[in-house]
Amino acid sequence: MDTLATAALSSWPLNPAVIILLAAVALTYFRGWLRVRHLLPNKLTVERLLAFWLGIVLVWIAIESPLDAFSSLLLEAHMVQHLLLMMVAPALILIGQPFLPLLRGLPRSFVKTALGPFLNWHALRRFAAWLVSPVVAWLIFTISTVAWHIPALYELGLHSPAWHNVEHACFFWTAILFWWPVIQPWPGRPQSTRWAIIPYLLAADIINTAIAASLIFSDKVLYPSYAAMQFAGISPREDQSIAGSIMWVPGSIIYLVPGVILAVRLLGPAGSLDRLRTSNHNLNRQRRAEQSRKVFDLLRLPLLGSFVRWKHLRRIAQSVMLILAIAVASDGLFGDQMAPMNSAGVLPWVHWRGLVILALLVAGNWFCFACPFMLPREVGKRLFGAARRWPRGFRSKWLSAALLLLYFWAYEAFSLWNSPWMTAWIIITYFTAAFFIDGFFRGATFCKYVCPIGQFNFVSSLVSPFEVKVKRAATCQTCETYDCIRGNDRQRGCELLLFQPKKESSLDCTFCLDCVHACPHENVGILPVMPAATISKDLYRSSVGRLFNRGDLAVLSLVIVFAAFANAAGMIAPVMNWESMLGWSHPMATAAFFALSVILVPGFLIRLCAALGSRVGAVAWKTIAVRFSFALIPIGVGMWAAHLVYHLATGSLSVVPLAQRAAAALIPAARIVPAWPLAARMLSPGWLAPLQIILLDAGLLLSLYTMWRVARNVRSQINRRALPVFAPWGVLALSLYVYGAWIIFQPMQMRGMLMH
Amino acid sequence: MRVLKTATVQFKSIAVWSCALTALASSLLGDGGSVAFRKPAGPFVITLFTASLPLRVGASDLSVMTEDAGTRTPLLDAQVTLTLADAEGHLSTIPASRAAATNKLLYAATPVFPVAGTWTITVRVKQHGKSGEAAGTINVLPAPPAVWRYWPYFAIVPLFIALFALHQRLTRNRAALYARRHVTDKHF
Repeated sequence: MDTLATAALSSWPLNPAVIILLAAVALTYFRGWLRVRHLLPNKLTVERLLAFWLGIVLVWIAIESPLDAFSSLLLEAHMVQHLLLMMVAPALILIGQPFLPLLRGLPRSFVKTALGPFLNWHALRRFAAWLVSPVVAWLIFTISTVAWHIPALYELGLHSPAWHNVEHACFFWTAILFWWPVIQPWPGRPQSTRWAIIPYLLAADIINTAIAASLIFSDKVLYPSYAAMQFAGISPREDQSIAGSIMWVPGSIIYLVPGVILAVRLLGPAGSLDRLRTSNHNLNRQRRAEQSRKVFDLLRLPLLGSFVRWKHLRRIAQSVMLILAIAVASDGLFGDQMAPMNSAGVLPWVHWRGLVILALLVAGNWFCFACPFMLPREVGKRLFGAARRWPRGFRSKWLSAALLLLYFWAYEAFSLWNSPWMTAWIIITYFTAAFFIDGFFRGATFCKYVCPIGQFNFVSSLVSPFEVKVKRAATCQTCETYDCIRGNDRQRGCELLLFQPKKESSLDCTFCLDCVHACPHENVGILPVMPAATISKDLYRSSVGRLFNRGDLAVLSLVIVFAAFANAAGMIAPVMNWESMLGWSHPMATAAFFALSVILVPGFLIRLCAALGSRVGAVAWKTIAVRFSFALIPIGVGMWAAHLVYHLATGSLSVVPLAQRAAAALIPAARIVPAWPLAARMLSPGWLAPLQIILLDAGLLLSLYTMWRVARNVRSQINRRALPVFAPWGVLALSLYVYGAWIIFQPMQMRGMLMH
Repeated sequence: MRVLKTATVQFKSIAVWSCALTALASSLLGDGGSVAFRKPAGPFVITLFTASLPLRVGASDLSVMTEDAGTRTPLLDAQVTLTLADAEGHLSTIPASRAAATNKLLYAATPVFPVAGTWTITVRVKQHGKSGEAAGTINVLPAPPAVWRYWPYFAIVPLFIALFALHQRLTRNRAALYARRHVTDKHF
């Protein structure tokens, strides 16, 4: 093939976000189509499915193919792009009868709860019906088409990517409106006689012809951006004429062919209404059948499910993590003390923390699943018998909250991230503590009452989208052996004393999957849940009790939330300058900052919000404070994620020279030379700042929603409006959001890299 | 009643479809390249494109098309470098490559403009011992504040809050409507 043609055909923008989005729409349609096709065999044929998919593919080709890459060089390429977006793709998508499949392809609870009120909103329904009425749809489409072909507006689109997006969106959406009365996607009702569609199409063709003719017969180049171009021997004037011809001939065909088909159909026999009635009846039957549908279980997915359920997987994962932990600790003790050149200065602080928070947000508490400290604590149990009970006074989260606070302060005060030696000692201390505590005390005492990392994971996993949970409550009601907590001959029960039927949320759950393996009914799985949904519920939780009676858990949550902001703020220039202005030693200045930002200011704010809330009704301020403290967890986790993902993304390459160094030490003959410059290379991908903001957005919205639900619960007790109870907490969450956004855009100290 | 049900299903469909495609439409991206200048340069014709106009302080996206002056055929094996000079004469030179370009007929580079002002951009092209250069000026405006740059991401919050408030209002109205109907049914 010609070199130029090869180069042209390889010009694919390939934006992953667009591909993922289009694939999601296509898959949602397919999921719904599979569910309802047998009920509507005449409506949802394979041809419809293919038409919909072809429409989606054409949208992708229009915006992600060489057409887009060449649209700024050649008006004709741009015209083909617009033709696809206006005339072909929308029509094919509507021919695919997309509405019912898309509706059924989405989760039922989402459609019912979140979309339901909007879907049943009469005003919006009337507005939508008005939009797709022939006169309105025609006018909107025509105005959009004509307006965007006016040179000033067309040039605006060429000069600005944002306006170009608006232009394309206008073309696509107005085309959806335009083709609606023509195709009448089921279950739409015709708003005019079908005969009216023929002049409707003809009138649109006249407008299209007029614009095309103005392009073809104009003496001058209408769009100045193309006037300077003379690409591949085609003059701008010729390019404009070709573009006009494309608009005229294929455009007219696309308008006229449906008109002809419609006329032939109208002159033929009428369609049957009976099939539609049968379809509605079948739909109701299907709805009832779906209510008893099996629940989604991650552990039942092909390949992945059986892999995760594999009995030895956890032991292998723990062993790998243990080997890594020993290697990191050894490197920290005996290796180079330059942190970016030592695995103890890089892996725990840059990679591990980022990956843990990502795993929590995407899949659940998988770090505890692979915890490297499990093996030493089991050795300790065998050596010392683990016969004692943990002292009653320590059976709470107060100790772990204090340890977590101490750890956050020490991290900043002693720059742990910059000291491989101290990092190694933290790991050794951890191993020692796990070994002795669980060696002497029963159950998983270390995990439940001591481990700061575990507490962080437990609290953060409240916003995870997956949870170890029973599949059918009815099965548990008939169970008499309670293997999930008691264990049996082949599998021990839950070490943290979580009784599955009474387990709400992932608090104190280490994802060990012991209950999954122990349940003889295979009734425990990893199920999808609404993130943070259980935070607002005052339920009895096995081994935890009532969340709203747990002041210790509330304080632990607050430490994690406010430390998220303090930890990120500790490495930005304004705070570092303030600390140096104090003139104190670094640990003292950091202690002052932490005392202010994690204890004093939060304490004051929580007290203030609780006092304002308690004035509304006869509810004690402590009750209000405890309940709403949990609702702050999402914004805190959002901040942790925004912060740690930043370090993971910018410093991800620093692991390469470390791996090379390890390989060089293990295989000297290979003569591998570590590429240390990579440890100084800061990646700054364009998606990072938007991702950080989105994580904060999600955290704030989830916090606000949870607060609203808590406020409504409080309101139902005091019989007052929820807004006055909610307002102070909403303002607090918004303030944290603004503070977090401000931190994100401050110059930040690079850690784990050769550039701080 | 049947008509009402059909209309409801129709409307639900429209709304869900709209939600899905609203997200889609926001991703309908185009390159929107603009011609900064097009000049003959010895045996070549050089065209410089910018991803958007006006340019702002920070990273930008510049593309160069080099054509044979005689045949007007795009050249694919040339060496292209961009030299950027600010008003005070500070120079920086960066190579442009086809690998960095989406349109593989162009040579792209992503220089960073550290300060606002008038910048002179010189494009040098070499191919098989022949060379040519063309220069032009571009006005670079100050960078917008972060909030402005990322406003769509910040706008998510008020948008969702407004939608949720509306959702709650609609839910309350509907509940009230059902309650009224229930009372009326019992009464009669």
